[in-house]
Amino acid sequence: MRSMFRYYVLVILLLMQSISYAQQQDVDSAQYLFNELKAKLDRVEDYTADVRVNIDVSFMKVPPLAGKLYFKAPDKMKLERKGGISILPKKNMSLALNTVFPEGDITIIDAGNDVLDGTPVKVIKIVPHNDVAGIVLTKVWVDKERLLALRTETTTRDNGTVKMDLDFGKYANLALPDKVTVYVDVKEFKIPKGVTMDYDAGTAGKMEAPKDDGKRKKGKISINYLQYNVNAGLADSVFDENE
Amino acid sequence: MLRIELYKIFSRPRTYISFAVITAITFIIQLAMYVDGSSFVEFAIQGVGDQFDIQGRVLNGYLITYLILQSLLVQVPLLIALVAGDVLAGEANMGTLRLLLTKPISRTKVVWVKFVSSLVYALALLLWLAIIGLGASVLIFGTGDLINLKSDAFIMLLEDDVLWRYGAALAFAALAMATVAALSVFMSAFADNSVGPIIGTMGVIVVLTIFTNLELPLFNLVKPYLFTTHMVAWKGFFDVPVPYEAIAQSAIVLTIYIIGFVVATMVVFNKKDILS
Repeated sequence: MRSMFRYYVLVILLLMQSISYAQQQDVDSAQYLFNELKAKLDRVEDYTADVRVNIDVSFMKVPPLAGKLYFKAPDKMKLERKGGISILPKKNMSLALNTVFPEGDITIIDAGNDVLDGTPVKVIKIVPHNDVAGIVLTKVWVDKERLLALRTETTTRDNGTVKMDLDFGKYANLALPDKVTVYVDVKEFKIPKGVTMDYDAGTAGKMEAPKDDGKRKKGKISINYLQYNVNAGLADSVFDENE
Repeated sequence: MLRIELYKIFSRPRTYISFAVITAITFIIQLAMYVDGSSFVEFAIQGVGDQFDIQGRVLNGYLITYLILQSLLVQVPLLIALVAGDVLAGEANMGTLRLLLTKPISRTKVVWVKFVSSLVYALALLLWLAIIGLGASVLIFGTGDLINLKSDAFIMLLEDDVLWRYGAALAFAALAMATVAALSVFMSAFADNSVGPIIGTMGVIVVLTIFTNLELPLFNLVKPYLFTTHMVAWKGFFDVPVPYEAIAQSAIVLTIYIIGFVVATMVVFNKKDILS
């Protein structure tokens, strides 16, 4: 009788362990992490943030731009500079995480584990079943502990690959970064000299004009978010382009 | 004598043709930009616009002024030639040059005063360009950040960093126009009617501008020595960082040309047998 009891206890214990293991497996799964991350991002419906944008692209000479960034889910974004000119990556697709995730039917693939600046992360691949939005593949490096995307890599049909690094601070609970660094592929920029009638300092003086090999080049755009105002309710009219 | 020369220049109707031409061209550019400026801006920045969203008031008074300067600083030398080419040859044509030289004034001084009066006219023309180009454009279109497109660069200047650049650019343009005035006066010393020096100056500027803008290895050898290469150095003030060293070098080259033309005019005029 006693041996029978022991046998039952052992079976129950084994059963509980396997259930716990299965649950742990589920929590670690790519699909679970993606769902949780998406749910966390969806909590932010809109925000206004004071930002400072630095553009580091070989052919662009743009000073640091301070302004106000407006975002409204799912994909509206605008940088306002009190009447000044604002420059953001095309379609703003690379600045808001929500827009990096492809819409519609998708397949989530577990791409293994990695370490980013000492933080263990799970790498998730998101493959859309159609590329209507121009996104072919998105890779996300997710901090499992804090449920934050620390890096994304989006391969687009027309605009090459856009990589984004995110640093989080006091707004981490809302998955809103303190700093976003976007790495983009940029095409060569050329206008005939006969049109621009350049003053060629290289010809006139000793300065050499920058050399260009005609290939795609990497550009870097850094956005420092100084302060957020989240879910205050932004009207669509804020995003109307009137200039 | 300078006052008399200035009176002669500014009492001729021909002098005001230049002011009228500048006003008309400026007005046409402003009107075109007012009516369809957004299409122009879209076309101009399409190379960057394909990759970046550019929002805000791109079409503003500072951009229009830049376009006006870009267009007009090619034409203004021709307008300067219209008056400066006439200062000596016109006198010869009218038969007043010999009379002028009967006064107790050296020929060197005559040349110097003729050059200075031409310079005053050129500066007045430039000042007028600044007033209606910059002033009127800012009044009509307002101010804003300035986008400057080079053949291989997209430059953006913040609104509060633009005005001083226009001041510096116009100051440099004055040096460039002084070079043209000196060339015209030099040409004027050889002729007995003003058509020759005016067309001669225009011809030299047009030919050398073509040399400057054609990207051929043969021309690249002579480009650094042509004054037309350095006349566009005002654009350097709209670059980041401003190529001060190259601009200073261009200023030196233009100054050498001015001194060369004025001294050469003095030499030629002093040796010239004045028959009219």
